[in-house]
Amino acid sequence: MNLITKTTLIYLFAVLVILSVGGVLTYYGVENEVKRETDFDLRFHFRQLSKALEEGIPASILLDDRVHISEVSGLSTPQDTIPVYSDTLAQHPYLPRQEMQRKVVGVKEVKGKFYRIQVMDVFIESDDIYEGVVQAMTRFFLFLGGALLLLSFLIARFLFRPFQKTLEKIRTFDLKKDAPLQLTKTSTREFRQLNAFVEQMVDKARRDYRSVKEFSENASHEMQTPLAIARGKLELLLETENLDTEQTRLIQSAQQSLGKLSKLGEALALLTKIDNKEFATQAEVDFSKIVKNCLVNFEDLAQLKNLEFKKQIEEHVQLRIDPVLGDILVSNLVKNTIRHNIEGGWIEVSLTGDQLVICNTGAAPKVQPDQLFERFQKGAGSNKSLGLGLAIVKKICEVNNYKIDYQFADGVHLISVHF
Amino acid sequence: MKLLIVEDEQELADNVSSYLSREGTVCETAYSFQEAEDRLLSFEYDIVLLDIMLPDGNGLNILKVLKQIRPETGVLIISAKNALDDKVNGLELGADDYLTKPFHLPELNARLNAIYRRRKFQGQKTIEFQDIVINPETHDVTVCDKPLVLTLKEYELLLFFVTNKNRVLTKQSIAEHLWGDNVDFLDSFDFVYQHIKNLRKKITAEGGADNIKTIYGLGYKLSES
Repeated sequence: MNLITKTTLIYLFAVLVILSVGGVLTYYGVENEVKRETDFDLRFHFRQLSKALEEGIPASILLDDRVHISEVSGLSTPQDTIPVYSDTLAQHPYLPRQEMQRKVVGVKEVKGKFYRIQVMDVFIESDDIYEGVVQAMTRFFLFLGGALLLLSFLIARFLFRPFQKTLEKIRTFDLKKDAPLQLTKTSTREFRQLNAFVEQMVDKARRDYRSVKEFSENASHEMQTPLAIARGKLELLLETENLDTEQTRLIQSAQQSLGKLSKLGEALALLTKIDNKEFATQAEVDFSKIVKNCLVNFEDLAQLKNLEFKKQIEEHVQLRIDPVLGDILVSNLVKNTIRHNIEGGWIEVSLTGDQLVICNTGAAPKVQPDQLFERFQKGAGSNKSLGLGLAIVKKICEVNNYKIDYQFADGVHLISVHF
Repeated sequence: MKLLIVEDEQELADNVSSYLSREGTVCETAYSFQEAEDRLLSFEYDIVLLDIMLPDGNGLNILKVLKQIRPETGVLIISAKNALDDKVNGLELGADDYLTKPFHLPELNARLNAIYRRRKFQGQKTIEFQDIVINPETHDVTVCDKPLVLTLKEYELLLFFVTNKNRVLTKQSIAEHLWGDNVDFLDSFDFVYQHIKNLRKKITAEGGADNIKTIYGLGYKLSES
């Protein structure tokens, strides 16, 4: 539920409460007023009757269906009684039912005779007042509600437009694209503050992101020189005389770790570079040629591991991809098929105009297929691999908008890349 | 062979010169752009080993200067960047080859020798190791004057051994020499073994001596018997 709807609903609820309380108060107010007016009217009528009696007009003439005069005998008190007002139920003058009426009863002394005068009047009934009040309040509520809804719609549409624009900009903002976030100017102070704040934050995020990128790229370059030195020292150590087996084993093992570290640096630098869009992919390249060149090395390796290598490469498949990335894409995929293969297994690479499919025999993967493309996920393999090969493949597919799929069934891995 | 090492990391330069000096290569070192320029203007070298990233300048500029004053000098670029840009730029400006840090010293040696052979003898000179003769131009190999038929990888392997004779070659450096960066898995060590087995078989079949020694757990060494 959006802010405007929420405030509108809260407003409506508040109005409802206020109108209910107001309705009750109005009801009692109106009822009192009506009673007072009716009583006033009754008193006036009572006085007129008294006056008429004093003037000697016979009581029988004065009677009608609202007035009742009777002579009271045997009263000792010679004074007039104070008229008493009360509610009573009586026959409605026109309607065939009992109705709440107001009545005044008083005793009047006229020339030594006592007359009991009773005047009744229909006054506006409570349920009529109630109905009137409720109706008025309901109409008022509906009118106000309609006005509020319209207003909130207008506010959402016009007043909140800069806010929605800002949201949209933030939503589509991509830190990796290295373009600053430019928000639309607005005259609303709050939104101006928000925009300024968001812009500051994004600027900071961009600066940080850039420095992290630069750092990881520089770090992976900078570490290559010390690695080269260490590797060289070990090679010089190997050249010295009289090394025993244990010593050479230690050197060998150190060499392997250095090699791994260096490869790791290269792979991370490559990932960063792809992220940094350092590979322009404007030109069309003959992907068939790239695949073929790439496979030459691996056919050799596959043969040495007694793997059957099948390939079906369609000629002249043109793709917009950086040739270096294309080569890395293919070799990382094929490399895996050799590494994770089984004794006497096979590999099949097929390239058509819209996809590259690589199948191979192998043991079931140990990690979930969807995690296979994450960094440092090692499949049914070994600590020999870096766990970055498929992450790089995924990244290359991402920047080139290729769709990559992985399946495993009946001891066969299938990876397909849709261009 | 007279070599100028242009490298600001002294330890790395020391590694290279200690490794190469053993074979009679004369190594001189320049630790900065300035120093390298001075030396190149004053002396002649067969090959310059050039680090692109120097604290006081870009190594590629040295390459430009060198190609103007002494175009016959061979240049091998070493760089921490495996960025393709550097490679293409370097090769366009006339560098002979490009090696990415961290490199194996036998690999460096093999590359330098290849450049040296190309530059000095236009590849005409044959390489001899006892009864083996390699013609780098035609890729022909003979053992005891009998032709030896080798696959491309076996040929590369033999050449790598001969250029680095009497040196220990780890399986790692051999694998990287044969398959380059593509091979970053240790399975490749079995492949190295396979290739060496085949090479040995072919050489001995033609009556050559098996001079490739296995150094247990480490690698191989071609030694003169």
